[in-house]
Amino acid sequence: MKEDDFKTNQEITWCPGCGGYGFLTALKKALVKVKKEPKDVVVTYDIGCSANAINFLNVCGFATLHGRSIPVAIGAKMANPSLTVIAQGGEGGIVTEGANHLIHAAQRNDDITVIINNNFVFGLTTGQASSATPKGLRTRSTPEGNPFEALCAVDLALISGATFVSRTPASAVERTAEIIYQALIHKGFSLVEIIQPCVVWTKELVGQDGVWVEKPFANKLDVIGNEKLWGILYQKLLT
Amino acid sequence: MKNFAIKLSGPAGSGMMQAGEILSKALNRLGFYTLMYPEYPSRIRGGDNNVLIVFSSEKYIAAVEKIDLLLAFGKENYERHKGEVGGPAFAKATAGKGGKYEAGELGLNKIAKKLGNPLVANTAGLGFIFRILGFELRILEEQIKEEFGKNQEILKLNLEAVRKGYEVGVSCGLWDVGRVVRVRVGKTIVNLTGNEALVEGILKADCGFAAIYPMTPINSILAMLTRSKVQVFRPEDEIAGIMAAIGASYAGKRAMVATSGGGFSLMIEGMGMAGTAEIPIVIIVGQRTGPSTGMATFSSQADLNFAIFGGHGEFPRIVLSPGDLKEAFFLGAEAFNLAEHYQVPVILLTDKYLAESRFSVDKEELEKIRNSVDRGKLVEGFEGDGGFGCKRYEFTKDGISPRAFPGQTAFLTNSYEHDEYGFSSDEVENRKKMMKKRMRKLSGLEGGYGRYGENGAKTTLVGWGSTKEIILDFLKDHQEFNYLHIWRPWPFPKEAEEILKKSKRIVCVEGNFSGQMADMIERLIFRKVERVLKDDGRPFFKRELEARLIK
Repeated sequence: MKEDDFKTNQEITWCPGCGGYGFLTALKKALVKVKKEPKDVVVTYDIGCSANAINFLNVCGFATLHGRSIPVAIGAKMANPSLTVIAQGGEGGIVTEGANHLIHAAQRNDDITVIINNNFVFGLTTGQASSATPKGLRTRSTPEGNPFEALCAVDLALISGATFVSRTPASAVERTAEIIYQALIHKGFSLVEIIQPCVVWTKELVGQDGVWVEKPFANKLDVIGNEKLWGILYQKLLT
Repeated sequence: MKNFAIKLSGPAGSGMMQAGEILSKALNRLGFYTLMYPEYPSRIRGGDNNVLIVFSSEKYIAAVEKIDLLLAFGKENYERHKGEVGGPAFAKATAGKGGKYEAGELGLNKIAKKLGNPLVANTAGLGFIFRILGFELRILEEQIKEEFGKNQEILKLNLEAVRKGYEVGVSCGLWDVGRVVRVRVGKTIVNLTGNEALVEGILKADCGFAAIYPMTPINSILAMLTRSKVQVFRPEDEIAGIMAAIGASYAGKRAMVATSGGGFSLMIEGMGMAGTAEIPIVIIVGQRTGPSTGMATFSSQADLNFAIFGGHGEFPRIVLSPGDLKEAFFLGAEAFNLAEHYQVPVILLTDKYLAESRFSVDKEELEKIRNSVDRGKLVEGFEGDGGFGCKRYEFTKDGISPRAFPGQTAFLTNSYEHDEYGFSSDEVENRKKMMKKRMRKLSGLEGGYGRYGENGAKTTLVGWGSTKEIILDFLKDHQEFNYLHIWRPWPFPKEAEEILKKSKRIVCVEGNFSGQMADMIERLIFRKVERVLKDDGRPFFKRELEARLIK
């Protein structure tokens, strides 16, 4: 399989400079490396900017509902365990509308990979605050600044029992591809949070730096609350 | 008057359900048809659980308000129900105490205590009942053996309890139950709850996946499927439940959910997705008294409109409403065929009365029901050409496109409006064609109803779902009525519409406040439909229905 085998003939509709491009390339690279044919890969999509990837990625794609890509993925994986199953969503879908599905899938250690495209804002509905919008950020729905601390997908997943947790910026395509690959071959629940600040609605967050973690932490407490850490942050191998 | 009604009553936890089940099954062994209708509040211990057992030499039995025999396990329970004694068979009762008994006074509790387990007072009570009705102890013992055979110690205890209870009955004299004619022995009568019959159908259909969040009255479906070959997912909520079932169906398994009105409310968005993405899904909705938490352990037929119209936008769906064991068994399987053949959501409406009551049916009649698995159009062995060559939503004459499963080829499935390939599309022409494609899928549906009674009768009763046995019981003595039973309320059967147009007088009998099916029929045939309605959580009782239909 080559990267082009995962391409469709559809026009990509993301804004110029969007992190989606890097994410899409990284995902294709990971699928090539994992040696899967498009027919054996299921991606269940949320609804939103990043979820429009259903039209751009040639696999068994399933555009589901806002917040509900995780349970659809679980059902598909349970029905046919030989499939590689990814649930995709923005932070709107995964930690806002459907956060309960994230924590329960992590609790059950369901054998799927959840990819969150975190742009810190509801993009496709023109820039309202989500549960993961940083405190103080001015958005269309918080003109005086977001009053709440952000919910962190990595923290939620770790507390709930996830066995593979990672965070990576969409701009680091090769490293992101490697992390997605590692997540795909992990047995059990894996989470990849992809940081891709919106170039239209959260411009001020673009270009933020993180600290790369070269080896997963053994202790979850070293990760929880550390939002600037990038890489595979925690992995528990099934014995 | 060929029916005889017994009520057992006791606090929750005293084994009333189990005693009722054993008694009604033992009565089936004697050759009687039975109805066992349980009532219980939302609590696990104390209060009043009661079971009504009506037995008869004839099929189709309605619940009754007036009973012939009460056995209460507790003074409060006795006080609560003693006023109900005075059924049609009561007048001929010759036993002392006028058909009203309390376990403590009879000494049944003492017997149980002596045997070392106060819980067997209920089985001692069954021995007592068998004796005063003049039935052979041996038959009850056979049923006890079937119930407790797996544990010799418990079996021995219960056998001793029924024998001791039987002896207590000797001193109370014998009842005259001669009028309750025993059916010819030699044929087997099967005793099942509606849920049990439904699960038999589900298993027959080779269902592969069930996602169920607990809710009365479908909890026994979860318990039974958990012990079956079906893969069971216990979701965090009903939204996850229906979405996972849709995922499993998409990946190739026959999939279902089961819930009640509250859970179904949460599933509505998912059901709409199944409608537009054309994923087969079976949704069992056991109705209970709503709205909101309502009366959680009581029955209702108020979710018909919700099942037919729930959801935003328009999409094809099928609504089924089995009325008895045979239909629950048949439709439990057929629901999967319909869902997969037409690639639509199928909602199977039962209710607490049908789901948890015990009914009886001739075994040979149940065995006659056959339906083979129909998985609809499939692209089996399809060799992919790189994915976007697969027209998952191909425009076809009948609107049904061949289905593929992941692993066969790459293809797209989409809750957005989409083109034939599954790519998202807002184009005008595509939308028009795609809507028409989906909405014409069900145009070939046939059947969906049953006709009972004489064709030329003055009044046609219309019902759907669990009122079937009740209305058939009523019909036995009232030939001036005939009856149209709708087991597929949606799409409403065309033939039934024609029959109704020719009917002289139409009366809808429904367990809801407003007459939801009556409203639907009025819209279809432009005529007034009379209504006999009941919305208090209980089934229509035999005398009550007579009083309301015959003025």
